[in-house]
Amino acid sequence: MGKSVERDAGIFAVACLCGIASGMFGIGGGVLLVPLLALLYGFSQHRAQGTSLVALIPPTGVLALIAYAREDFVSWRTGLLLIPGVFLGGIGGGRLAEKLPPERMRQIFAGILFALGTWQAFSAWRR
Amino acid sequence: MTLVILLLGLGVGVLVGLLGIGGGVVLVPAMVYLLGMDQHLAQGTSLFILLPPIGLGALREYWKQGQVDLRAGILCAIGMLVGAYGGSLVALPLASRHLKGLFGCFLVVSAILLWRKPELEDKPVAAKGETAGG
Repeated sequence: MGKSVERDAGIFAVACLCGIASGMFGIGGGVLLVPLLALLYGFSQHRAQGTSLVALIPPTGVLALIAYAREDFVSWRTGLLLIPGVFLGGIGGGRLAEKLPPERMRQIFAGILFALGTWQAFSAWRR
Repeated sequence: MTLVILLLGLGVGVLVGLLGIGGGVVLVPAMVYLLGMDQHLAQGTSLFILLPPIGLGALREYWKQGQVDLRAGILCAIGMLVGAYGGSLVALPLASRHLKGLFGCFLVVSAILLWRKPELEDKPVAAKGETAGG
């Protein structure tokens, strides 16, 4: 019993951390939540991903969005154009995830993120 | 341009379903580099895209397979709601250039976390990330 409360509290703390990243970087936070659930709480890869999708259903970023919108940092038109594609693509990706080896997919994605991140940090602070 | 944006959405969507992420981590750099947006604007727009339940279709597929921990998911949603507001208060006053650089560092850290294999099974930890076997 106490163990499960401890686990819940831990997961909540991890989620707060992911939320901070979400607001700071304008992302969903799943990219941090998925590996942390797997590494810290022993979720299988598929289960971590499914659980992360649950966390992304409610508008968790709404308070952050309001803060950005107040400063006029939102392109509403681009956003509206992107939403249908992301939704439809998500269904396709979900089907695909059952067929592909998740380990491989994750590592390819991690490789791309690593390269992208290095390049972005470098280009921002070069001068 | 409109077509590029529509296709970008579709491509990011596949990643959402495939990896169980929101997609912002790919959307933000894509909007900065492909659409020439400022870092703050890209982040704000990404938060807007994440507002509707875009992952619902993908979640349904995972649900059918029983790969969802609903309790943990709900806890995470609450935590992220609170955290995200705090994070935005940190990001907004930052210069765009520093925010862009920090975003890059964040991507590198996430990449390392994603790459690491969860050590739940009592397998000896491989020295290199080689998983390609027979």
